[in-house]
Formats: sequence, structure tokens, C-alpha cells
Amino acid sequence: MSSVEMLNTYFLSIVLASLLVNTTIALYALFFKPHYVKKVIALTIFSDTVNTFAIFIGYRRWVGQTPPRVPVLTDLNQNAIENTIEEFKSLAVDPLPQALVLTAIVIGLAVILFLVFLGWILYSHYKTLDMREIRGLKG
Amino acid sequence: MKLIELVILIVVVLAVALLITVGFEHIIPSTSVRRLAEFYLYTAYNPLVNYTAMSPEAVTAIVWDFRGLDTLFETSVFYLALIGSLALVRGLFVEHVEKSGHGLSIIVRTVTRITAPMIIAVGASIGLHGHLTPGGGFQGGSVIAVLPMIVIVVFSAGFLVLKGVTTSKLITTRSLGLIGIGVTAIALFLAGLALGTSAYVFQNMAKPAAQISMPVSIGGALISGTLWFFNLFEMFAVAAGFTIAFLAIMMARTLEAEKR
Repeated sequence: MSSVEMLNTYFLSIVLASLLVNTTIALYALFFKPHYVKKVIALTIFSDTVNTFAIFIGYRRWVGQTPPRVPVLTDLNQNAIENTIEEFKSLAVDPLPQALVLTAIVIGLAVILFLVFLGWILYSHYKTLDMREIRGLKG
Repeated sequence: MKLIELVILIVVVLAVALLITVGFEHIIPSTSVRRLAEFYLYTAYNPLVNYTAMSPEAVTAIVWDFRGLDTLFETSVFYLALIGSLALVRGLFVEHVEKSGHGLSIIVRTVTRITAPMIIAVGASIGLHGHLTPGGGFQGGSVIAVLPMIVIVVFSAGFLVLKGVTTSKLITTRSLGLIGIGVTAIALFLAGLALGTSAYVFQNMAKPAAQISMPVSIGGALISGTLWFFNLFEMFAVAAGFTIAFLAIMMARTLEAEKR
């Protein structure tokens, strides 16, 4: 393993480790922070971390000595098409996690909207957003 | 209660450990991708194979063609979340136009007026080029929904209503977008019924058992069959949906402030 490759692996490991730490912190805040808004913020951090994790799994390392460049499909004539698509296939990252994350982001946004409205209703009912007090009120 | 929290945390830790163990080979990215990803990359824009989507942007091809039903139900989840939110605030949210107030300073207002068409142009560009470059209906719609947010902050929510952006119009736009998505989804199926050949619901390009397909390009411009239409309608639906939510939040807040 060359030193550049080693460094790349090390950077990717740093990303992975920080994602795991981030997940832990977000889950801790989600479970143990008493304030509703802080819980919602922790939930957004958690979902963003999980989304980044999915993108990270679909990432593909660059092969070759040149700097990374975007594989672009331009030619559509019958001779060039096989070569272009083969090159595209050998260089592009995994598109499936990106598509799933796109779905997850929109759903997450809608859920956050719903939670914001819910928190506002909670506040207008109980005059507080402290979950310990809301839990103690029992209706 | 503490015991339950402890048990939940332990279960989460064990589950994450299991996930890392199972997925260890794939967690640090290598220079290769999975076979499934190679299939998608190979067929996304390849007129020589059977299951192509004819879109150079593989993510959009997956979102609206290979896994189109996923996205259809995602759209309905988004719709239901929005309807649920509006139902939660139905008594507290009254659309009204306030006459007082001038908004922020004239510099901010002028800059907002200048950037407003640019925001819409960028959003439309992202949405309508979704089958060519990274982007699509959701992203374009979200970018367009930034504009009402800025207008609400800089001017007021009443200003938006005064300009004709009312809740009923937005809900109509949203419903039209959703109807458009539904019609696009069954367009080829209906065409197959009319022509007497077999066709699938949510079909885009010709499949081995269903030999009809949407037009790949119109006048030399690539539209990738259904993808362009899906992106267009989804853009309208998402932009209108988020605008309703912002409007409801801000209107409800001003009403609450007036009550005090």
C-alpha cells in the first residue's frame, strides 16, 4: 500500500469515525435532552448523519494518477457509445445511495415540518416545551 | 423509565456493532462499486440495451424510472405530512392581510426584488435539467420555496397574500402537480390500452414485453421520456407545498402575537 493510498484510507476513516461519534451525540441528545426544540434539532443532526453515512458507503475511490474528473456522457454515435459508457461505469460512484438519500431528505423535511407544527401546538396548550413537565401533566 | 432508556441504548449500541460487522467490507470505500450500481450506471443512458432510462443522470433515472414507485409513495408521504401539519393548525391559522408595517429597510427590500426572479430561474433550471445534470424536481422546488421564505422575512406574510399567493391557490397548484404526476405515471399504460398493446404502469422506455416508449427527445432536446414531466410536476408540487407550510407557520405566529 503506497503512502498516498494509506493517507486516503486514513482520511476516509476519519470521516467514518466522526460520523459514528456524531450519531452517538445526536442519539444521546434525542433521548436525554428535556427540551422539545433540542430534541428536534438532535433528530435533524441524526438524520443528516445517517444520510451522509449512506453517501459515504456509496463513495468510490478514484483510480489512476490524474486528479479526479467528472465522467460525462456526451457522444451517442454507435462506435463511441460502448467506450464512453464503459468508462463511465468504471469511474462513477454508486448512484443508488444518492437516490435513497434524496428520498430521505425530502421525507425528513416533511417530518420536521410536522414536528415544528406539533411543538407549536404543544406550546400553546401547555405554555412550556419542557418534556418533563409535559409528561408530568398527563393530559 | 431509566431502565427502558438503558435497554434502548444497549440495543442501539449492539445493533450498530452488528451493522459494522456485517458491512465491514463496504464501509471503507474501495475502487469498485457493487454489481447493482454497475447495472444502473451501464443502463442509465444506453440505447443499445433493454432496460434503459435514456437519462445521462443516473440518480434521476433511479429516482423516477428504476425505482419510480418508491418516489411516488414518497410524494404521497410528503403530501400527507403537509396535510397533517395544516390539520394541526386549522383553528389557529387565519389568512389575513395586514396594512401596517413597511418591512425591513429599503436596501434589503430592493435586493430582494432583484434576486427574486433569479431564485426562481435557478430553481427552474435545477428542476427542468434534472434528467441531464444533478438536480431534479425536489431540489428545484425547494430552491423556489426559498423565495416566499425570504419575502415573508423581508416584507411580511400578509404581503405574500396581497400579491395573490393565497393558501387556496397554493393547494390548487399542489393538487395540479400531484395530478400531473399521476397522469404521467399511467400515460403509457393508457396509450397501451388505446393501441391494443401491452404496457406497464410507470413505464418509461420500451421493455422486452412492452414495446412502446415515451419520446426520448422533442425537437432534438433530450427529455428522457417521463423523467422531464415528473420533474416539472414535482417541482410545482414541492414548491407550493413548502410555501403553504411557511405561510401557515408565519401567519399563525403573527395571529398569536396579536392575541396577547
